[in-house]
Amino acid sequence: MPRPVIRALLLALSATAALVLAACGSSTSGHAGAATVDNGKGGHRGGSLTLLTSQDVASLDPGITYASLDLNLLAATERALYAYAPEDPTNLVPDLAAGPPQISADGKTLTVRIRSGVHFGPPVNREVTSRDVKYAIERGFNPHVANPYASTYYGDLVGAARASGGPIAGLQTPDDHTLVFKLVRPTASLVAQATVLPLSAPVPPEYAKPFDARAPSDYGNHVVATGPYMLAADSKGKVLGTGYVPGRSIRLVRNPKWSAATDARPAYLDAIEWRIGESPNVAGRQVLAGKGLALSDPPTPALVKRAYQQSRDQIFFSPGAGSRYAALNTAIPPFNDANLRKAVAAALDREQMRRVRGGEVIGDVASHFLYPGVLGFEQAGGSKGTGVDFLANPTGDRAVALKYMKAAGYPSGKYTGGAKLQVVGLAGAPDSNDAEIVNQTLQDLGFKTNLKLVESSVMYARFCALPRARVNVCPNVGWVRDFADPQTVLDLAFNGKYILPENNPNWPQLNDPTVNAAIGRAELAVGNDARASAWADVDRKVTATGAAIPWLWDRQPNIWSADVRCVPQLWNLGHCDLVYSSLK
Amino acid sequence: MSAADAAGAVLRVEDLQVAFDTRDGLVQAVDGISFAVAPGRTLGIVGESGSGKTVAAMTVMGLTRSPRTRVAGRVLLDGEDLLAASAERLRALRGAAAAMVFQDSLSALHPLLRVGAQIEEAMRAHRDVGRTAARARALELLELVAIPDAARRIDAYPHELSGGMRQRVMIAMALANEPRVLIADEPTTALDATVQAQILALLRRLRDELGMAMVLITHDLGVVAETADDVVVMYAGRIVEQAPVGELFAAPRHPYTWGLLRSMPRLDAPAGADLVPIPGRPPSLVHPPSGCRFHPRCPYVRERHRHVEPVLEPLADGPAHRVACLLSEAERRTAWALLAEGATPEQARAAIEPAGGPAPTAAGSTEPAAGDGAAEEAPA
Amino acid sequence: MAAYVLRRVLWGLVLLVLVSLLTFVVFYVLPSADPAQLRAGRDASPATLAQIRASLGLDRSLPAQYWTFLTHLVLHADLGYSYYSGASVGSLLIDRLPATISLTLGAIVVWVLVAVPIGVVSAVRRGTWVDKLTTGGALLGISAPVYWLGLVALYLFADDIGKLPLLPGAGSYVPLTTDPWKWFTALILPWLVLASTFTAVYARLLRANMIEVLSEDYVRTARAKGLSERRVVWRHGLRAAVTPLVTLAGLDVGLLLGGAVLTETVFGIPGIGRLNYDAILHADYPLIQGTVLLAACFVIVANIVVDIAYAYLDPRVRTA
Repeated sequence: MPRPVIRALLLALSATAALVLAACGSSTSGHAGAATVDNGKGGHRGGSLTLLTSQDVASLDPGITYASLDLNLLAATERALYAYAPEDPTNLVPDLAAGPPQISADGKTLTVRIRSGVHFGPPVNREVTSRDVKYAIERGFNPHVANPYASTYYGDLVGAARASGGPIAGLQTPDDHTLVFKLVRPTASLVAQATVLPLSAPVPPEYAKPFDARAPSDYGNHVVATGPYMLAADSKGKVLGTGYVPGRSIRLVRNPKWSAATDARPAYLDAIEWRIGESPNVAGRQVLAGKGLALSDPPTPALVKRAYQQSRDQIFFSPGAGSRYAALNTAIPPFNDANLRKAVAAALDREQMRRVRGGEVIGDVASHFLYPGVLGFEQAGGSKGTGVDFLANPTGDRAVALKYMKAAGYPSGKYTGGAKLQVVGLAGAPDSNDAEIVNQTLQDLGFKTNLKLVESSVMYARFCALPRARVNVCPNVGWVRDFADPQTVLDLAFNGKYILPENNPNWPQLNDPTVNAAIGRAELAVGNDARASAWADVDRKVTATGAAIPWLWDRQPNIWSADVRCVPQLWNLGHCDLVYSSLK
Repeated sequence: MSAADAAGAVLRVEDLQVAFDTRDGLVQAVDGISFAVAPGRTLGIVGESGSGKTVAAMTVMGLTRSPRTRVAGRVLLDGEDLLAASAERLRALRGAAAAMVFQDSLSALHPLLRVGAQIEEAMRAHRDVGRTAARARALELLELVAIPDAARRIDAYPHELSGGMRQRVMIAMALANEPRVLIADEPTTALDATVQAQILALLRRLRDELGMAMVLITHDLGVVAETADDVVVMYAGRIVEQAPVGELFAAPRHPYTWGLLRSMPRLDAPAGADLVPIPGRPPSLVHPPSGCRFHPRCPYVRERHRHVEPVLEPLADGPAHRVACLLSEAERRTAWALLAEGATPEQARAAIEPAGGPAPTAAGSTEPAAGDGAAEEAPA
Repeated sequence: MAAYVLRRVLWGLVLLVLVSLLTFVVFYVLPSADPAQLRAGRDASPATLAQIRASLGLDRSLPAQYWTFLTHLVLHADLGYSYYSGASVGSLLIDRLPATISLTLGAIVVWVLVAVPIGVVSAVRRGTWVDKLTTGGALLGISAPVYWLGLVALYLFADDIGKLPLLPGAGSYVPLTTDPWKWFTALILPWLVLASTFTAVYARLLRANMIEVLSEDYVRTARAKGLSERRVVWRHGLRAAVTPLVTLAGLDVGLLLGGAVLTETVFGIPGIGRLNYDAILHADYPLIQGTVLLAACFVIVANIVVDIAYAYLDPRVRTA
């Protein structure tokens, strides 16, 4: 399609999307949309909330689950050691733990005290001990469970290198309510942060071991709860068929063994249900028009517009929902040349990238890789950016682009080399629109490009995460943190030692010694403040290489019915926190 | 047809005209024909394809009614004018008082229904009979038309029967309600010679046994010779000759009839005589030729024939015999006498040429000016 | 006849094996997601990825995997376990089948009841306003994408989001045994939407066949026999015109029983179609194999039934 036509189309698209933000204020810090952040206090008890979702959960097993929908569910049924309050995505709050994490001065020992009086739900029913948390973490290393992040975050435990489901020496339980983590490196601060993930939710060994013996483990279909809610199950504890009908529904009921005395959370709702398989268009409309409903999927742009214009208190734009960036392959020409990379970054209009997704309400134009809510964001420069000239102007800067093209050896400002760039993006609006903008920017700089738009899992598995596919530009990649520690955003994404022949997370294949060294230092920093400044340094260095062009810090929209008081989990893309939400 | 016969006619057609409104213009398929059939007698209608014989038959049965059809004249069945009758009245008469048998029995019978059922429904459309009674009667009819092993064949499908048997079934179906007149359109054309003879014999027998009037449409003079009592020869939608069968064969009086007779093998023709096909093709019915419609193909055409339309007139010595031709009776007699001995049409024509050569060209002629006698051939 | 059916059934079994092999090959050869990777997430280490692969049995050679699948299926009637939900594939299929059957059978009834009269009437009254009206309607039915039609239907008539709240909205399907009335009303819109394309196509087809049949010689004979016009059209005309449609309908039914994805998605009906779609999204190979085999089964059976039905409907075919 000729260039002017693409431009016209893109302009038309951004014009319609811009209608959404017509009435939005012009505050530079961005606003959270119409509904505001909520801490959940003062809600009404009772009632039932139904969530509509087009996608099923991946797993109900706290030792496996990792997707945001699953995390949302498990936050209601499982109590990990620590958690985030819905309105504060940065600071840990003790959940199963009795108090803050104790980190030794050398950073190699983490001690956590566990509350008494917390019980497993039926059919186990007994009190939770530190040994249950120990088993929960150990089973993550069991190949039948194969937890995706166990070796990443708990790999420094003494004995973890050889662990395969059996006891790990570094996890010690001096008594029923104390758990001690012994580490081979001073990464206790990281481990403490990592305990918000559900792997640290207790699992009763005597009940779970028979399930874990099967390959793959069947514990997910028989999971036991410790939180205020549990999956409806039969008398033997099997949830498959009652609480969970694959692809159709999930039902939560109150956990009779949960004691409000051990938990600061209100748990207003009596029952929670998911209806799986609804088409997003229809489900969104049902939610907006109905009662007692919330949408678990990201709403389509049309729905966002409708909600924003007609039912503004039913939509919330959750900040800090993740970052989006365009990765440039630094391992092969032409983007092994840093000047060319910076030229592209300077030429890209990041405001337009945001506009085609819906404008101001949908997020903030990004200037580095740590994003709001992640530790170290402010230290790296916050919303002002790190100060590099090629990202200084959100709408792009032709003069700076020209400067870098000249520095790269193209005095005309246009690339004259022969290489044809492989650009692989996501199919479907608005992601495809963003890919088109990046593609257009490349062509304006004189590059010849071959743009391919594919489905998300294919984009990663067959192109962007596969070095031998030799893709030059991946405009639609992005990162969502695992928890507040900045290591979860920067390490795997930009550390040279994580370049893998397949399932490669370091998409730009950045292998810069300065960056690697800075990461090595930051990994071992002890204490939140030290880590924040160390990782902020990494962020600035990574940004300076131009290996990836950050363009958006997402605000994830969420919608719910008029009679629902949804308390959004800022740490989890704004999903309604089921333990704090209520009906009006 | 003598006046006495006409009076006892079951079916009488008077000046029937049928035209179809098509994109190319008005097709005058039938242009004023009249005939009558009495009970127990067979009328043969002979002509090429396009002569209008099938259209006439279908119109008699009321099967050509449509917004695009223009019909004029009268068709009297036992005195009732079918052309003026309502659609419902016609339906009641079709298959009952007047029945028709069609040419290609494989396509004319419903392929998915058993033959017995097709006969039974013909009955039950007009009479209130129970299923068992209808079936019994169907069996009778099949035996009547001499189908062997009728009890088994009654449940056969049309494609399981031979051509001859299928035609018998068609006849049985037509006879189901004891019609007063049976119209058979080319009933033997699709059959081989032996079967053809059997079917014709059957038709004769049935006509005699049941006292029906029969109309037999065909292009085959041999069939007519065997089965018909009276014959009507049609050309371009008009009757050109009409006579009792014996007379037609012994003393035909129209050049077209001569052509038909000379183009078929005859045992009484002299040995060595050539078959003489009629040159040319049937005329367009949208723009028929002016004057005598046969003139473009007639070996004996004269200038006058191009402008004057002949009228169907009885012969002086046999009012049952009518001809529509502008040649004089003497000329016709002479020509036929020569042809019957094996002369060619050219020889016959030469013999009847008026003295002084061909007629002078008249003004406004639609044909090229006549040259000498040799050049005055019928243009192909 | 019995020998013929037996032969067809045996051949059908061979076809099913071929289909399963083809599915297997397609899944592994064409670009799709890696189920282990989907499970593992993006920052899983290679070791974890390998572990997940092993636990799913993906680390064995392709022929070995296929052989295991085949032997389990033939010897134990076991279709394996879904990677994604951990439930047995067989139980998932059985769980979803009633919804698909309800949807398909109802749609068939609608489309037959509507298409046949429309086809006949528009053929008999060819050229009149009735014919033009049905032609226009048919064009709409054929061109309108099912998904869009479903959305329009919901936005008009659903009791939760529609302008004229008449019928239950998306997601309100319940099994027949739970609440027959709710089952029925929740399926009305899906039936109409699913049937719309088929109705249009079949009505047009029937119209064309009828026009041809009504000009056949045997229809002329029927009229010559003095049969009522109604009998001529319905018993002689329709009887001959409908035979190709019956065979086509049989095949379409077979296809639909494999799952009408778009209708099920837009109306939130938990049928085989959506199950298949979800399985593909999650690269859930055992479930994909299960749904494809089920669909293939239906098509093969439909083919056999249709051939037998055709022989029954058209006696000329039997002697062949």
